[in-house]
Amino acid sequence: MTIKVVMLMVALHVCMSVVAQPCQGVLTGQVLDETGALVAGASLSLKGVSGGQLSDAYGHYRFEALCNGRYTLVVQFTGYKPFEQTVTLTDTASITVRLVPDMRSLQEVVIEEKPLNTEHAHNLAVLNEKQLEETAGKTLGESLKELPGVSTIQTGPGIFKPVIHGVHSQRVLILNYGIRQEGQQWGADHAPEIDPFIASNIVVIKDASAIKYGPDALGGVIVVNPPELPEKAGLGGTFNTVVQSNGRSGTVSGMLEGGIGGHDGWGWRVQGTAKRAGDYHTPDYNLTNTGVKELNFSAAAGYHGATYGIEAFFSRFQTEIGILKGTSVGNIDDLSNAMEREPPQYTRSFGYDIGEPRQEVTHNLFKLNGHLNTSRGILRMQYGFQNNARAEYDIRIGGLSSTPILDLVLNTHTLETEWEVTTGPSSTLCLGATGMIQENDNQPGTMRIPLIPDFTSLSGGAFAIVKFQGGRWDADFGGRYDYRHYDVAGYNSKNILYKTNSQFHNPSFTAGATVRLPHKQSLHLNVSSAWRPPHVAELYSTGKNLGTGAYEIGLLLDTASNVVDINQTDFKVEQALKSIITYRRDWQDFFIEVTPYVNYIFNYIYLRPEGILRQVAGPAAYFRYTQTDALFTGVDITGQWQVAPAWKVTPRASLLRVTDERQHDYLVFIPTNRFDLGVRYEKKTLSRWKDFFVESQVRYVLKQYNAPRTITPRQLNDAKGQGENLLTDGGNFDFQAAPASYALLNVAAGISLPGEKLRYDFRLGVDNVLNTSYREYTNRLRYFADEIGRNFIFSMKCIF
Amino acid sequence: MKQTSIFRSHAVRSFFYLALPLAGAVVLGSCSDDDEPVKEDVPELITTVELTFTPVGGGDAVKVTATDPDGEGTDELKADGPIALKTGTTYTMDIKLYNGLLPETDEEYDVTKEVEEESDEHMFFFSWTADLFANPAGNGNIDNRQDPVVYADVDENGLPTGLSTTWSTKEDASSNGAFRVVLKHQPELKSATSGYNTGETDADVSFVINVTE
Repeated sequence: MTIKVVMLMVALHVCMSVVAQPCQGVLTGQVLDETGALVAGASLSLKGVSGGQLSDAYGHYRFEALCNGRYTLVVQFTGYKPFEQTVTLTDTASITVRLVPDMRSLQEVVIEEKPLNTEHAHNLAVLNEKQLEETAGKTLGESLKELPGVSTIQTGPGIFKPVIHGVHSQRVLILNYGIRQEGQQWGADHAPEIDPFIASNIVVIKDASAIKYGPDALGGVIVVNPPELPEKAGLGGTFNTVVQSNGRSGTVSGMLEGGIGGHDGWGWRVQGTAKRAGDYHTPDYNLTNTGVKELNFSAAAGYHGATYGIEAFFSRFQTEIGILKGTSVGNIDDLSNAMEREPPQYTRSFGYDIGEPRQEVTHNLFKLNGHLNTSRGILRMQYGFQNNARAEYDIRIGGLSSTPILDLVLNTHTLETEWEVTTGPSSTLCLGATGMIQENDNQPGTMRIPLIPDFTSLSGGAFAIVKFQGGRWDADFGGRYDYRHYDVAGYNSKNILYKTNSQFHNPSFTAGATVRLPHKQSLHLNVSSAWRPPHVAELYSTGKNLGTGAYEIGLLLDTASNVVDINQTDFKVEQALKSIITYRRDWQDFFIEVTPYVNYIFNYIYLRPEGILRQVAGPAAYFRYTQTDALFTGVDITGQWQVAPAWKVTPRASLLRVTDERQHDYLVFIPTNRFDLGVRYEKKTLSRWKDFFVESQVRYVLKQYNAPRTITPRQLNDAKGQGENLLTDGGNFDFQAAPASYALLNVAAGISLPGEKLRYDFRLGVDNVLNTSYREYTNRLRYFADEIGRNFIFSMKCIF
Repeated sequence: MKQTSIFRSHAVRSFFYLALPLAGAVVLGSCSDDDEPVKEDVPELITTVELTFTPVGGGDAVKVTATDPDGEGTDELKADGPIALKTGTTYTMDIKLYNGLLPETDEEYDVTKEVEEESDEHMFFFSWTADLFANPAGNGNIDNRQDPVVYADVDENGLPTGLSTTWSTKEDASSNGAFRVVLKHQPELKSATSGYNTGETDADVSFVINVTE
């Protein structure tokens, strides 16, 4: 199905003519598309009644304070025929909206401008405009944590990396404005370089069905959808301000958009965000050197006509992030001390200064895309250029602290074409081809042997997807073949040049079906086989990880640190077989969604502890990229219960168990089981004010019981002193036992003030109300410090 | 010049422009294939620690080294020795640090001067088998910063650094044991009380030590 972006209607702020008599009637329901999949963000209104609304993440809508009588519900959603149904209301009424695709509109406007959206996905979660507003000021990764099945790998309070069903980094594809995000994503401390303010919604696809985006989305796809460009003359925009007490941070973001008078179809938009945060703090101490500076900018312009459309987009993301100073360690003894010390070494009073260790990242994206309608189908084409620069700084000797230890520039060109034809009354065929050229260059002058080598990568792929539609079911099948070639040149640990190359190619398959059952039930099934070319970092890394002082060594380096040819090793590409089912059922006041899944990843690449290496700086643990078979089994459960007209209760659970099948062991840094309970009170009108809400959320996160054994650095070091290596058995381990279970309480309230031309949304939230001290298992800084304490967040959004 | 009719179509023209950057990309990609990455100097990498014990009254100096020739590779550090000292002798011990990945003629080969220049944030700590020396007594200052070590140099703040130290063996007893040297980097942390557990470790090497008549 297709989730389309609906621009927030500026017309929402129609002046209310307050009716005197109190009417209590309620009209509720859900919006579904032709496949029975939920539709978030559809625009709903009642004829003759002022005010409208958008369907929520589960497709739900609710009109309140209606007098008994006849009403006509009108639903509009881009790419679908307008829906109208009349109902006689006696206290309550319910209408299930089933949208029908509008082939004419499909060929005329907008939809083709999003060639790469969430088509064919059956298992997905949506962060809609309202939810994005409620997470304003947070990073992209942190915002996505609100979705079931999505969690994060964290490096302190500023770096969040999204994790879908337990997998992350190279196994999760991020589509930014339809372009595959290509940054330095191999490290757990590399956050996506995307400003969440550019999105009007974010969709997380939890299966590997979206094969048209590339072969490597073993875990899923995150789709950052921008709002549509305006097509008519006029000027609109938004302005956001967010201030937070923890970190004393401020964020401002503004957007301005419009059409061009006399030139229907033309539209433009400019947008920018600036953010500044100082040191965050735990309930007990400051997290010195965890500040953030961020400056982002984007501009888009385009034309949408009857037969063709074209759009250009540019964005720049620029950030500087401090990493907790107390994480600086030279050897395993330092690590041991740092882990036993609280507060961390170097802890100082609050400051905005960002010193070493720190990261400086910029990401520029330029995109051109277009579509052409012909009598034989729709042709879509897009070109993207991405320039990603990442510099990492550490505390160094010899006055080198201002020289980065890692300085990489990654340039990526992508070209994608797609041809979609209707092959019958209920079937479509989509054929496409993609190409990518990528070049990674170490910038000279780091005075350090590069952690990852220079490389040039060439990729090409072709795919075919067929879709069939029946009465109570529909199905899709897809196949794809991909090829990747690497040319690599780098220096080994002895600073000797090596040059090598490798090729990978493999097919991917997906099969999915949606079955609509009686009693508003639906089943969405997907089985897919996907593969992933290894990242150069996994093959050739050599050097020290900033976080733990541990050394990381690539798969293709032998024990003497020499690079070996890939054909002389038993390396096999990573392949995943994922099966996922989403079951939905909707009662009058209760909605439930259960998503069980199994993902078996063959030849799963991960960092396995191998031993202690003895250097001049002392002993350090070293990890080697190794392959195993990993089994991910989990379930996401979401419910929504309308307890009373104004009260909503939303329970949620994400459970996951991951095992290393070759070694009958567990893997480290796997998201733990978590439970959420949200209670929300909403009142649509409050004299001049609208959309008032108060909500509270309790989150209970269990300790990770499925964790590998613990071997502390002290134990490693003591054993080493006696000539023993505790790691010879190759089993997995963690430096520290998993942190205890914790519960957090968050509260928030918001209200909206509509005016003649402007609308203001205000929100005040408090995260971690009880100022609980806790540590999160998937935060790499859990070895050193607690998570952040109580945080007051005030945000204001102005829409004009 | 007369335009062909196909080019008069906006749509086709748009697609032509769309394809242009890709052509650029292909050219860019193929040009840089022959680029070779630049070899980095790695001045802060220490592969060799050399201790030289020079008898104050004259005589043969005793030199020992600990070497890790593959730098950040997995090969083990190798320490030679033992440190063979004579009883009843006072020695000046100088520490030299080298980066063996560079040729000896390279300006950055000797890392010692980096530490000298930043002596206000570096300090050496020592430990040895208890009562090996007449002066300093005890077992060194790694376990306790205030324990005696005879530093022969000071930084700009009047705090010891330890590139040069003084050691006196006992008059009579022959003995042997272990001798450990640790260099800590303590930016903004070095003080009269900052010890082994402060800052980051730049070097940590151990030798066998024999004191004979």
